[in-house]
Amino acid sequence: MNKETIYFTVLFILMLFAQVLICNHIALFNVAVPIVFIYFIIRLPINLGRGWLFTLAFLMGLCVDICSDTPGVNALSCTILAALKKPVYYAYVPKDDKTVNLIPSISSLGIATYCKFLITMTGLYCLMAFSIEYFNFADLREIAIMSVSSCILTFLIMLAIDCLIISKS
Amino acid sequence: MRNLLNFLIKYGTWFLFIFYVLLSCVLLFSHNSYRESVYLTSANIVTSSIYDTMSQITGYFHLRGINESLQASNARLENEVLNLRHQLAESISLIPDSSREELVKNRFDYIPATVVNNSVRHPRNYFSINKGRLDGIRPSMGVVDQNGVAGIINVVGTHTARAISLLNETQHFSVKLKGTNYIGSLSWKGSDPAVAYVSEIPRHASFHTGDTIVTSGYSTTFPGDIPVGTVLNRIRGNDDNFYIFKVRLFSDFKALSTVRVIKDDFKQELDSLTTFDVLTDK
Repeated sequence: MNKETIYFTVLFILMLFAQVLICNHIALFNVAVPIVFIYFIIRLPINLGRGWLFTLAFLMGLCVDICSDTPGVNALSCTILAALKKPVYYAYVPKDDKTVNLIPSISSLGIATYCKFLITMTGLYCLMAFSIEYFNFADLREIAIMSVSSCILTFLIMLAIDCLIISKS
Repeated sequence: MRNLLNFLIKYGTWFLFIFYVLLSCVLLFSHNSYRESVYLTSANIVTSSIYDTMSQITGYFHLRGINESLQASNARLENEVLNLRHQLAESISLIPDSSREELVKNRFDYIPATVVNNSVRHPRNYFSINKGRLDGIRPSMGVVDQNGVAGIINVVGTHTARAISLLNETQHFSVKLKGTNYIGSLSWKGSDPAVAYVSEIPRHASFHTGDTIVTSGYSTTFPGDIPVGTVLNRIRGNDDNFYIFKVRLFSDFKALSTVRVIKDDFKQELDSLTTFDVLTDK
């Protein structure tokens, strides 16, 4: 087992526990919910095979669903997010030999590009997850408010995690 | 054949993607027992043991608030016991000796339990408790905390169970205005975990802001007169013949900790009567 596999296994477990034991119990102003477990999907290497990416994302979503009693909501959103990861990444990063083997982070992409990538991924996930969960056009206002506020909160938390990792390394 | 194999190899990952999407949709939209199986809920043995450990650590955080509400509840109950004792002493002399034993037989038993996992932010919220089938918990039993109604058990494991919270858009509770016979249906509409709505109260019912809403007792899930909340105000509904009340709930769902599961000893008897009615109707 190489170093990278151990790193992502630990990250999977840490993010899962952080979500179900801490973040699931936070609802800032009753609307902003931190969804930190998608950090695992965002951090997966860009050159990772699609099959692995879909499987790991689906597993992460399913584990969160089982622990949060939201069957299918996160599993579906995570799988779709995994499919959107490469198109979003290459929307901000030019496709050349230097960028295909990267793990998305502040140090590898630069703060501006990384922030754009992070907020797009977070926004897409929040919009998908809340739309699937409410699944009602009558709740459109609620979905919009929760998606925007959760996206901002999640983005700030994930940026804080990145800054922590940088300062440690 | 070779072309087919090449096609499958080339687009294999996208077939995997479609498989995961379909699997998620089955979990999301199927309303059968598969979705309610213990393994796919927080009542499964791994998740519940994690939550149980966490609850033993975080359970201390809300003790001050719980203690205050228990003291208030205790004082109210002591007053009620004194009043009832007084009334019983007056009435019992009027009842013949042979009927006294039947009179004092309790219909409801309470099984104390601790909430190990709880959510308030989803449209359909659930909570898990640390008691299961071996402790006598069965589906459809009512759950109350020290302040009022909390939910209804729906999935039961060996040592754990999951309850549908009152904060679940799909669940309705039969309630009434305290001291009257005006029955309504209580449901939660999302967003604020402290506020729910009572519909179907007839227009001729008289009420005041601050009136108490209690359970109707017309089911085997909850006994009558269990407090639920107080009327905040009336809101305009689609049907002019009925009121819709906005209700402030008594239970603090963000700090749900110690609960009691209600076991109705007459449930089997009452259920068999309902089955008998259905059979005779056929």
